[in-house]
Amino acid sequence: MGEVAFGWMLITGMAVVAFLVRAVFILPGSRLRLPPTAERVLRYAPAAALVAIIIPDIALAHGVWAISIDNPRLIGGLAAFAIAAATRSILLTIVGGMLVFTLARILAGG
Amino acid sequence: MRLHDEQVSALRQGALASASLLVGMVPWGIVAGVAMVSAGLTQAQAVAMSVLVFAGSAQLAVLPLLIVKAPLWVILATTLVVNLRYVIYSAVLAPHFGHLSRPWRALLSYITVDGVFALFAARFRPEDADPYKHWFFLGGSLVMWCGWQVSTSIGVFAGAMIPKEWSLEFASTLGLIALVMPLLFDRAVVWGAFAAGAVALAAAGLPLNLGLLAGIAAGVAVGLAVARLSPTKA
Repeated sequence: MGEVAFGWMLITGMAVVAFLVRAVFILPGSRLRLPPTAERVLRYAPAAALVAIIIPDIALAHGVWAISIDNPRLIGGLAAFAIAAATRSILLTIVGGMLVFTLARILAGG
Repeated sequence: MRLHDEQVSALRQGALASASLLVGMVPWGIVAGVAMVSAGLTQAQAVAMSVLVFAGSAQLAVLPLLIVKAPLWVILATTLVVNLRYVIYSAVLAPHFGHLSRPWRALLSYITVDGVFALFAARFRPEDADPYKHWFFLGGSLVMWCGWQVSTSIGVFAGAMIPKEWSLEFASTLGLIALVMPLLFDRAVVWGAFAAGAVALAAAGLPLNLGLLAGIAAGVAVGLAVARLSPTKA
């Protein structure tokens, strides 16, 4: 399958998933309440998923661990965590993280 | 269709209430637009994704997976998990909108976003008989919808002009870092997130990005366990 065809399948699938999670109670007009256990799982899962995407993305290079000062994504990512914790600003986190990443990339000669 | 004055008034109130949310959303949309094309989507696909999926965190979360060529089902499972908060919103909103026609309920489902949900839930109780509250919700949501489409489109067309060496797709990961921080609101969630990251990293060699799914499962399990052991029940 070509990359463009894959992209369209991805978008279609995501559209269906994104609609269904929002419609699950609204569309049937349900008065069901979520059981407390389900509500807790729903609270932990999104943070777990985001961190499970972020960490390999910054700590791996070409599929192998790259926990080193020569890895600009790791340096930029750690800077972004610090900025996000300190400022809670999405914009500052992205701009600051991108600046540190770019500086580290240039210093590493990439 | 001609709208009654009350409908227009509720629509306008919702739009005004959520206009302040645009300040946070517009830069975020521009980054998402740039990141989508940097990750390899065509411009048409990036615009279509914003219109059809209309979920910022999921749109950003799938990009690192798209780059490493994860299988479709893994990316869709991730979309589901990242969007699970909408299940809670849907349960809260259902009693408000239960009396509406099916097309109305489908429209309001599609257009639900975090900020407007929060505004709406703070303003209306399910037992409120206000017959125009769905117009308030629609007004607020339409503002966010237009803001998202315009800002991501700006990013998509700007992104196509930016050199590839700048690696602007990395902005999507940075955006996720900004997004995860407010979610880490108690000890159980923090421990769960640590476990998820550690397992995802340790299991990175597994085929089919199973490390990601293992990380999510570990994160939920650790979060539940810490909440159970913790003396202060959250």
